[in-house]
Amino acid sequence: MSVTDTPPAPPPTAASVPADAVRLGHWLTLPAQILILFIAVFPILMQLYISLTDWSPLSGRPWPRAWELWNGFANYADLMSDRRLWSAVGRTALVMIVCVPVQFFLGLGLAMLFVDDFRGKRLFYSILIMPMMVVPAVAGYMFFMLFQSGGPINDIFGTLIGRPVVIAWLSDPTLALVAVMIADIWQWTPLMFLILLAGLVGVPDDQMKAATLLGANAWQRFRTIALPRMKTIIIIALAIRVIENFKIFDTLYIMTSGGPGVATETISVYIYKVTTQDLIWGYVAAIALVILIVLSVVAVLAMRRMAR
Amino acid sequence: MSAIRLEHLVKRFGSFTALKEMDLTIGDGEFLALLGPSGCGKSTTMNMIAGMEAPSEGRILFGDRDMVGVPMGRRGVGFVFQNYAIFTHMTVRRNLDYGLRMTGRPAVEVRQRAEAMAALLNLTPLLERPAAGLSVNILQRIAIGRSAVMEPAIFLLDEPLSNVDAAFRAVMRTELKALQRQFGQTMVYVTHDQLEAMTMADRIAVMDHGVLQQVGTPLEVYNAPANTFVARFIGSPGMNLLPGRLAETDRGLAVDLGELGISPPLPDALAAAAHGAGRPEVTYGFRPEEVHLVETGPALRLPLILAERIGARTILHLGRAEDAVRAVFQGNPVLPEGVLAIAPDPASLRLFDAVTGAAIRGG
Amino acid sequence: MTRSPVFETFRYAAILLALAITLVPIIWMTSMAFKPVSEWQATGADLTWIPKRPTFENFRYLFGQSETTLIVALERTATKPILASLLSAGFGTLIAMGAGTAAAYGLSRFGSGGNLPLALIQLRLFPPMAVMIPVMMMWAFLSLMDTWWGLALIYGIVTLPFAFWLMKTFFDEMPREIEEAALVEGCTRLRVFLKITLPMMRAPLASATLFVFILNWSDYLIALLLTTRQWVTIPVYMSSLASSMTGQLYGAKAALGLIAAVPPVILGIMIQRHLVRGLTFGALKQ
Repeated sequence: MSVTDTPPAPPPTAASVPADAVRLGHWLTLPAQILILFIAVFPILMQLYISLTDWSPLSGRPWPRAWELWNGFANYADLMSDRRLWSAVGRTALVMIVCVPVQFFLGLGLAMLFVDDFRGKRLFYSILIMPMMVVPAVAGYMFFMLFQSGGPINDIFGTLIGRPVVIAWLSDPTLALVAVMIADIWQWTPLMFLILLAGLVGVPDDQMKAATLLGANAWQRFRTIALPRMKTIIIIALAIRVIENFKIFDTLYIMTSGGPGVATETISVYIYKVTTQDLIWGYVAAIALVILIVLSVVAVLAMRRMAR
Repeated sequence: MSAIRLEHLVKRFGSFTALKEMDLTIGDGEFLALLGPSGCGKSTTMNMIAGMEAPSEGRILFGDRDMVGVPMGRRGVGFVFQNYAIFTHMTVRRNLDYGLRMTGRPAVEVRQRAEAMAALLNLTPLLERPAAGLSVNILQRIAIGRSAVMEPAIFLLDEPLSNVDAAFRAVMRTELKALQRQFGQTMVYVTHDQLEAMTMADRIAVMDHGVLQQVGTPLEVYNAPANTFVARFIGSPGMNLLPGRLAETDRGLAVDLGELGISPPLPDALAAAAHGAGRPEVTYGFRPEEVHLVETGPALRLPLILAERIGARTILHLGRAEDAVRAVFQGNPVLPEGVLAIAPDPASLRLFDAVTGAAIRGG
Repeated sequence: MTRSPVFETFRYAAILLALAITLVPIIWMTSMAFKPVSEWQATGADLTWIPKRPTFENFRYLFGQSETTLIVALERTATKPILASLLSAGFGTLIAMGAGTAAAYGLSRFGSGGNLPLALIQLRLFPPMAVMIPVMMMWAFLSLMDTWWGLALIYGIVTLPFAFWLMKTFFDEMPREIEEAALVEGCTRLRVFLKITLPMMRAPLASATLFVFILNWSDYLIALLLTTRQWVTIPVYMSSLASSMTGQLYGAKAALGLIAAVPPVILGIMIQRHLVRGLTFGALKQ
């Protein structure tokens, strides 16, 4: 395993490639280009158009005639003062701030136990990475069952403290959010574990031994040798989880549907509800477009940093 | 500084025995080379001295202290890795003072000792440079300096020159030897390259198949190999070894080498020792450098297969594969056509037991 | 390096705890899948981790062959949703792998499509929810709503970044000497790609395909928005296994969950070696 800190050969430049290769290159990349165009350009233009109107599937007009419901930037003005939206943004951030570090430290801790060989390593490894491969919707249903007030989680707690426990996890606003976070941590800690283990294994063994021989203890070795060498990997792992956590929907929606009330409503859940229940698509398009713009800026900045 | 004593050291990996009953004492301030082909147990031995591996049996003593069970960070051992294991994400200074910082020395001391070491190794101008991308001889100096700054009693070096260009090795050898004189520590140097061992070490421990074959000064292992393995391994090319039988001739005891003829009679001391050995089958050995061409009299007669002329030396390949003999001559001798008659210098003759391979020593 | 017994004890204790936490939800669902109706909602002292009377009734029920009269018969069996999931994920994977592999080769060898890396990273970054309104409008316009091929198309686009990046790192690592030799022999570049490169890349291609399939198979949100009745996929169908009349059909849902969960877990363990590379967009190789 290695981090690609030295890119292979730089991609050939147009000047160095013969004409037949250039032609084939264009043909080979064409399908991907069309698909991207199809998903990026048209939808974004459509989104932009709709977002400037009050159009809804129930408005009785096909969408090309949405201009009849023109309302300028009203949707954008509305979203600035949409308290339910901003609380969904805050809640998404909260889930991220809690879940990503917990997943990171649990994953790192587990990874550190798996660096050298021991009996049962391969089997344990295979079992521990299973959750991330479970279909998220199914994982949502698993936790829906587990957190029923007469369900097994309460049963386990009851056994531990010696008297019956009846906690209504999913109908208590705070506990529902906790339950959703637990499900996310269960499912995605393995991903951190997997990536960080790959990073730890990639730290040169000789350097760790050299540090040991120079008198560094385990923590010092980790801090001064392993951690700096894993920097890129850690950034990638964190970035992946932050991105995914921002999108969080499947597990959560199956467990709570965003409820009780709006207690577990995240950005994706909120948009989903406005799209399918309130049907004010012009407004949804405005929200979605703002998200796209913010994320694009983040992506470009991140790519610039990574390139350096 | 301290002496190292290995007592009945054994290392097994599962059913494989990497090291069999090793007994060796390395003197205080001595430069000892552990020499042998790969898989001979030399690295295992060194890893156990460093504490990276625990011995299956036996004791390791530094001075009078038993080190088995002492973790590798607390043995006071400096270690130079084959690839130097330089912390490439740090500057040269951070490499040099790493151990001092990790063991919590005061900042002033850290700076003074690191800078003193840098001055000693001519690294001062490079102190603030990142260690990545420096040339290999500088990396070697950093690796040594990084350990030396901790003032270890013992220095272990694991094939530090094996990744270096052949052309550069001579420079590095000289530099390494000079550094060892400077520090005066006990050094154990693992290598498979006899040239490194011969030029740098005070004594050489030759190993093969997990067994210590011989310990001695470079000249001892060259001149008086303890067995056929050492005889063949040391020297370039190694000693010629021919199967033969002791035979009485009218001029004294000699060795019957079958098709190659009867050897010149053995020197008295060797003849006496050979008598005492009790077995007529022997291995007849002599150094390629210590032969001469003869006109008449008892000699080994072999066809010349190839003459390699390498500047100041000429290496002759004589005889077919099973009884191949090599002879080295200075300069470019004039060679007769066809079969050559050669005789080893009597002083260079060695006999080995044909079964055990052990040297039969005379006098 | 030898470790102390204290460390070994701690290691096994920590790993056993992690294994327990990992397995509890899986074991519970598996157990539920084999529980008869009477045990579905048992609580307190009656709650069991191993079914008292294990049965395949839940699976039979899903496929409309149940004799149980306790719960109402299913309006639709699970057969078609399973088919929908297979078709949409399968063809979506084909689209992603086809377009992704070709583009990856074009970029890796000829430097074509220099805009693709950033565009695909952005595509990966966007929450699907943020582009779904126009996609729904387009799909309605193109009559792709509620069809498996409509789903396959969007799956192909959504997982294109993974296919592209995975294959690009594989192509970048592949030695080019053989291709160059074939070119010298007079093969056209397209022939080299199809007849030499792709066969040589069989193993990486298979891993990437399985990886992309797992991703497509795992979708819920997109199917929830783009299918309504005819071609709902397993997760969408699963949510429908509850109504005010029947309540939660715990056992049936668990049985379906098991059917949905088993293939990706097995495939995932099969391609363990490449998981890290796939998940990190090839930035990290194992």
